[in-house]
Amino acid sequence: MKFKMLIKNITYTNRRLHIHIGLFLVFFIWLFSISGLLLNHNDWKFASFWEERNLNKSVTPINIPPGLDSMQIIKNMLFQLKISGEVNNVKLTADSIDFSISYPGHVNNIHADFKKSICIQNKLSYNIWGKIRTLHTFNGANRNNPSIQPNWLLTRVWRFSMDAIAIGLIFLSFSSWIMWYKIRKDYSWGYLTLIAGFTIAIYFVILLRL
Amino acid sequence: MKKYYPSVRNIHLYFGLFISPFVLIFSISALVLNHTDFINKTNPIKNLPDIKTRIDKIPYDTTDLQTAKGIIKKLGIKGEIDYVSQNDNQISFPVILPGLTTKIKINKQTKEVLITRKEEGSLRATNFLHKMPGPHNVKLRGNSLFMQNWKIVADLVVYILLFLSASGIFLWYFLKAERKLGWVAIIFGAISFTGLLLLLLR
Repeated sequence: MKFKMLIKNITYTNRRLHIHIGLFLVFFIWLFSISGLLLNHNDWKFASFWEERNLNKSVTPINIPPGLDSMQIIKNMLFQLKISGEVNNVKLTADSIDFSISYPGHVNNIHADFKKSICIQNKLSYNIWGKIRTLHTFNGANRNNPSIQPNWLLTRVWRFSMDAIAIGLIFLSFSSWIMWYKIRKDYSWGYLTLIAGFTIAIYFVILLRL
Repeated sequence: MKKYYPSVRNIHLYFGLFISPFVLIFSISALVLNHTDFINKTNPIKNLPDIKTRIDKIPYDTTDLQTAKGIIKKLGIKGEIDYVSQNDNQISFPVILPGLTTKIKINKQTKEVLITRKEEGSLRATNFLHKMPGPHNVKLRGNSLFMQNWKIVADLVVYILLFLSASGIFLWYFLKAERKLGWVAIIFGAISFTGLLLLLLR
């Protein structure tokens, strides 16, 4: 009797969580669905972004104190330039430093000349479609060196959000199976649809390479 | 509107069950993509033994892709050709199946073939599928049957997911007992979503 009550409680809570987690995630699901479609359909003219990109070059005087390492120089420069973002591709020489700083829809390639005390910024900005696309992939991952972690707080926050959304979607999948299992006698086609889905998924993930 | 409730519920249930394994693929791979370092440590890539062979003739064709396709047909290798690089001495290209990357290098003079393979495992297979077809090498992408099929599946999953989220809202709206808490979830989700986008997009 107690066991039956426990199962009843679990299925009831599971159903409520399925509804409310789904509702909480709905805007995120729309964002990642639309941005996923955009990434897979470069030929959609209405969403073209590369042709509409904005390029802007500027030269700013800058003062770099001597004796700093690359990260300290970058921090100092970003403070002076009043900009922030994910820092990448750092190249430091005795006379100059090069790096790029990015956030969704913007990439700023920066070159600083220590002798001339100037900073050249080449800013690249995308339109709204470009911004939506970059939100899908903005996780601070470094393809050449995966051990490098994101260095901007907002990248870490966004990456955490992506993880949370992924875990939420995994829960929604599991909870849907539990909900269906309870009413499987009335929805017997569920066996077929679930098996069909799993068969195709397993074919792509495992069977293809065997 | 309520008269549509039973049919929307049925479609939501069946479509949801069908795409749930694909939602798992995309979700798990999102975690893998965000934590590549962890995956590399726990699930290292296995290098399979190299294969050295020779082909009688390089089947040159109108494009590099067609030539590469002719070569893998001769070698009995299946998969998606990622890109083709060629110079006076050699032609080389990777052939990818989810979880298995094969690199082919052919010496144009001697016709010697070096085949190297990397067994990347199922987690990286989901990773590869997540990124495909993607925005890169668009002209080459879809040169294998499985990739042509995956393109359709990936799109279908997204369209069904959009339908499921819309139909989910419809179904929730008719559940009076869950309406209040549902509004809280939607508003809380909207605030988190808007707040994050405002911070990130500026």
